[in-house]
Amino acid sequence: MDFFELTTEPLDITSVARRVVPPECGATVTLDGYARRFTKDRETGEVRETLYLVYEAYEPMAIKEMEKLVKVAHEQFEITNVGIVHRLGKLEIGETSIVISVAAPHRKDAFAACEWLIRELKRTVPIWKKEVYADGEQWVEGELVTQMS
Amino acid sequence: MRVRTLFFGATADEVGKRELELCLDESTTASQALSNIVEQFPRLSTHKLRISINLSYALGEEVLRDGDELAIFTAVSGG
Repeated sequence: MDFFELTTEPLDITSVARRVVPPECGATVTLDGYARRFTKDRETGEVRETLYLVYEAYEPMAIKEMEKLVKVAHEQFEITNVGIVHRLGKLEIGETSIVISVAAPHRKDAFAACEWLIRELKRTVPIWKKEVYADGEQWVEGELVTQMS
Repeated sequence: MRVRTLFFGATADEVGKRELELCLDESTTASQALSNIVEQFPRLSTHKLRISINLSYALGEEVLRDGDELAIFTAVSGG
């Protein structure tokens, strides 16, 4: 069974990964995305040290967009189950912000689908990240979606 | 007609609130509503903005209806 969730609680990677496992699968690929301390500014190239992150979501739309992505992933890859859990609120450096687990009969499809899902999620799912530095803060603005069906 | 408008992240900071109710003329489109809001809150114009209607991305030409939920936000940065 697929699932897509938002939570303010710390994420347990293993429990997300195990929830997607069905008997007909041979591999689960799990992405553990976490808060990075050093970020290079895309405009100035300057490296800034982040103290912590804050994530915010338009929750009902985020769930809907995640559900849409998983549906497309099922059409494009031979995968059995997908679980996506994104954390919201304040995250310390090194804490997991997102877990995506994809179970498939064969690992190749699981790897490809997991990569596709994180790439699309970063483009389309309405969640925003604020980086807080010693001397300020900013909401990170990603790339604009040109068109969504 | 009345349309509920939500802001998140950078747009909530620029507007200074997370939600407001807009009174619009009938047959106002999503992009007209957006221009109306940017006029009220000019600081929004420093961002590239996206708009959604009732939890779906809008292209702009959609005609709004009474009771719609709009959201105005910057390019997403989750993950």
